Amino acid sequence: MTKVLVIDDEAPIRLLCRVNLEAEGFDVIEAGDGPSGLELARAEMPDAILLDVMMPGLDGWTIAERLLEDEATKDIPVVFLTARADLRDRVRGIDAGGVDYITKPFNPVDLAALIRDVIEAVDRGDRETLRREKITELRSLLGGA
Amino acid sequence: MLRLLPRLARALGRRRPRARTTAAGDSFRAEQQAVLLNAAHAVTSELEFESVLQRLVDEVLALLEADAADCWIFEPGGRSLRCRAVKGVPASNVGRQIPAAGTIGQAIETGRPVLTHDFARSENPPPSKPYSVFEDVMVAPITWRGEARGALGVCARRPGSFAEHDVETLEVFARFASIALHNAESFQERARQARIERGFFRVADALGSPLSLGETLDALAQAAAEALGGDAAVVFEPKDERLAVAASHELGSGLSTGAGGLSASALPFSVDPGDVRIVTSSSLAHDERFDEEWRRALVAEGYRALLSAPVVSGKRQAHAVVVLFVEERTFTDDDIALARHLADAARGALERSDLFEAERRANTLSQRLAALGARLVTNLDPGVVLAEIAGEAPILLDADAATVRLLEGDELVVRATTGARTGLAEGTRSSSGSGFLGEVAQSRAPAVVEDVRTTPRASRTDPLLGEGMSACVAVPMVTHGGGLLGVVTVYSASPRTWRDDEVQALTALSVVASAALANAELYQRVAEEKERNDAILANIADGIVAVDRDERIVLWNATAEQITGVPVEEALGRRVPDVLQRELSSADEAPGEREITILRAGKEVFLSLTEAVMSDSAGAVAGRVFAFRDVSAERRLEQMKSDFVSTVSHELRTPLTSIYGFAETLLRSDIAFGETERDTFLRYIASESERLIAIVDDLLNVARLEAGTIGMAMGATDIAEVVDEAVANASEAANGGHSFHVDLPADVPRAEADREKLTQVLTHLLENAVKFSPDGGTITVSGRGKAGSVEVRVSDEGIGIPRSDQNRIFSKFFRVDAEPLSGVPGTGLGLFLARGLLAAMNGRIWVESKEGQGATFAFELPAWRSSARELVPAETAGR
Repeated sequence: MTKVLVIDDEAPIRLLCRVNLEAEGFDVIEAGDGPSGLELARAEMPDAILLDVMMPGLDGWTIAERLLEDEATKDIPVVFLTARADLRDRVRGIDAGGVDYITKPFNPVDLAALIRDVIEAVDRGDRETLRREKITELRSLLGGA
Repeated sequence: MLRLLPRLARALGRRRPRARTTAAGDSFRAEQQAVLLNAAHAVTSELEFESVLQRLVDEVLALLEADAADCWIFEPGGRSLRCRAVKGVPASNVGRQIPAAGTIGQAIETGRPVLTHDFARSENPPPSKPYSVFEDVMVAPITWRGEARGALGVCARRPGSFAEHDVETLEVFARFASIALHNAESFQERARQARIERGFFRVADALGSPLSLGETLDALAQAAAEALGGDAAVVFEPKDERLAVAASHELGSGLSTGAGGLSASALPFSVDPGDVRIVTSSSLAHDERFDEEWRRALVAEGYRALLSAPVVSGKRQAHAVVVLFVEERTFTDDDIALARHLADAARGALERSDLFEAERRANTLSQRLAALGARLVTNLDPGVVLAEIAGEAPILLDADAATVRLLEGDELVVRATTGARTGLAEGTRSSSGSGFLGEVAQSRAPAVVEDVRTTPRASRTDPLLGEGMSACVAVPMVTHGGGLLGVVTVYSASPRTWRDDEVQALTALSVVASAALANAELYQRVAEEKERNDAILANIADGIVAVDRDERIVLWNATAEQITGVPVEEALGRRVPDVLQRELSSADEAPGEREITILRAGKEVFLSLTEAVMSDSAGAVAGRVFAFRDVSAERRLEQMKSDFVSTVSHELRTPLTSIYGFAETLLRSDIAFGETERDTFLRYIASESERLIAIVDDLLNVARLEAGTIGMAMGATDIAEVVDEAVANASEAANGGHSFHVDLPADVPRAEADREKLTQVLTHLLENAVKFSPDGGTITVSGRGKAGSVEVRVSDEGIGIPRSDQNRIFSKFFRVDAEPLSGVPGTGLGLFLARGLLAAMNGRIWVESKEGQGATFAFELPAWRSSARELVPAETAGR
């Protein structure tokens, strides 16, 4: 079963993710802050991580960098959950090793399909292609702004 | 001389047979021949005419053992003989003149020696009284070139002293005498020729170098005297119908100082340029062509002859050079030719000296002009320039006064004067359109008055001409563009003519003066403009920095000092990168407004910068000017605004995510939720909606606070109730991460406040306390009553607030920028709202904190007084 780790300080959002992903057959584990999220990632080796950016203590970008630095976790695809409106913040997420991002508020019904696609792409070895596409997309948005 | 000796020997030899009567006679004659030869040698070895004469009488007296001897020479004209040397009679006889009569006359007439044995009785009259003692007198004529020139005589008291052979001896000696005198005269003539030749050279030399007129005339007098062998010379020049002594050489004082000069008729020659005759007088004493008085004066000074030559040069009236001689003399063709040569040379010299004088005048004028010009153009005060012009103009023309008039409207106004009594004219006005000055102004051409008596109209427009000034020259001052600036007038107290070069010099002065005035006025304007610019630059809100072509800073205004923190004295002369650690100029050539950052005391300062490039006439970069504003505050505000938007967006999106997400989840038809799950979802929707409302309320309150339209429901508010409610909410939200402690004594008075707003304030303070103590800890809320007020304190054990931020935390959008808090949510409005709401309730808030040691936010509110009104109008509460 595909295992997804959700790291978010907002309990309702963790619940949202869990309910909708489990309904589509995912195994969901949760962490309410950065340190426990990192610990859980190493312990459970999830297939994907949904990572909130704005959290007290360790923020999402730092957590992503730590995951990338760790040989055990560096290959786990990270999808950012961000409520930040600024495009530069999203670029920063991809730069920190994220493969995709979801902007809050989001429709939780689409969550499962997105995670599945990301995992498949990464499994195909298209992880970097995906990141480059996102960066290009964001840059064109930034340039046009 | 050597050729004569064999003849002499033959003559003596011929006489020998007749003298061979006695041995004693033979012996005597041999002795006498030896003496004669010695004497002949002696006299012929002399070259000086006068010395030869004296030697003749000395030798002949010794030769013939006479008691006296004398020598007579014909005067010029041959009418009489003059005694030239004596021996044995008093020297006073020298100079005596006698006619060629008696013994001497006979000797000259026959050309043979004459011996008279009874001279004392037969000679009538004797040459002089001392001669009456002589019995034997022997006279031989002296002749050369076949002409009798004089006679040589010997005298003896004893009768029979001279024999026939003595006559022969005297005759032979007289021939030697003739030779010696002829030699001496030839020598003298050659000496004279040499002197004349030297004279030529002197004339050429003295008159050849360019000299002033005075020096040329002095040289002429000297050259004339020396060339013609004269004893003195004088140069006359015509002056006011008379002849004045212009120069002289060796002239007796009685003549050279003749004041007023001679009447023009005193000389038999005119100084008319057409009269080029050379006049000579060999014997002045009897020459009645000359004015008697002058002639007598000349004779009294010892002059006996003269030669006069006219010197004509150019259009000038002739000078006359007169050479004077102490002896009567005849003038040869050579003398006349020499005089003509002298006159010619003198004419050339005078023409040169005219040029020289003109050049010298021009030089003097131009030197004065140049010096004055240099002084004028370096002077930058128009008043001083005017005074300089007025002061220098009369000096330039050797005149007495000057005025400078400036054109004001259509009048010429005297603005500067020099000279006696000209001060009266200061400020006087005259028309620039009519009258003498008006003509100068209108024609832009100089005008002169030589004598105001003959130009009375000039005095009508120029008051000075009636008041002691008799002549003037006026020149216009014209601007570069041809406009009239004014008129410079120079005055002379006595009538005078104004030379062309003087008028030209004054015109040149006025040109320089006009330029100097224009300069000074321009400078004045530029100086004023600069002062104005300096004032503007000093007070301008922008920093202004200018660099020259070498990129050295030449301007650094006060605002630039403030913005950069670099004092002007540290900036000037250095390069921008050395002062600011970065360039200001942009690499690209089309710079608009740019934003750059510099470091001021280690802190980043944002500058909005514009740049202008100054180009010189060749198109090269001559310098750059930078204007900049400190936009750091604006940038910080913008950053805070941008952060705020981002933060608010986040704060709004987070509850919205739950609301939207749970709503969509509940709408899923593919999942069947249980009752508990549905309740949980709906509770989240409700609580997140409340959170959303609270945020929106905060934003609204901020807007109302700023607009002053927030409504306050003031009333007696129980602090304990409000604290308990707020702590309960906070504790729930904190989710067990913090422990809460409330310390409120029972006697804390009620506050005068809006209960709901006070709850908001406390909620924000508690939320902050939780947020900024991420590692948990105890949050303490305490309260106490003070005189007339209630104080509440919220303390945490969190990260604290840096001192530098403590003043800013209450401003809108401000959020403490600290690494462990980068992800902490919040709008940055909490403390801003708390302060605003408390102020609206007549309270105040402050913070006490040390970085890393937690923070205490404290506020106080007025204690409730029963007399206080229940409701405070919104308008006043918002203050």
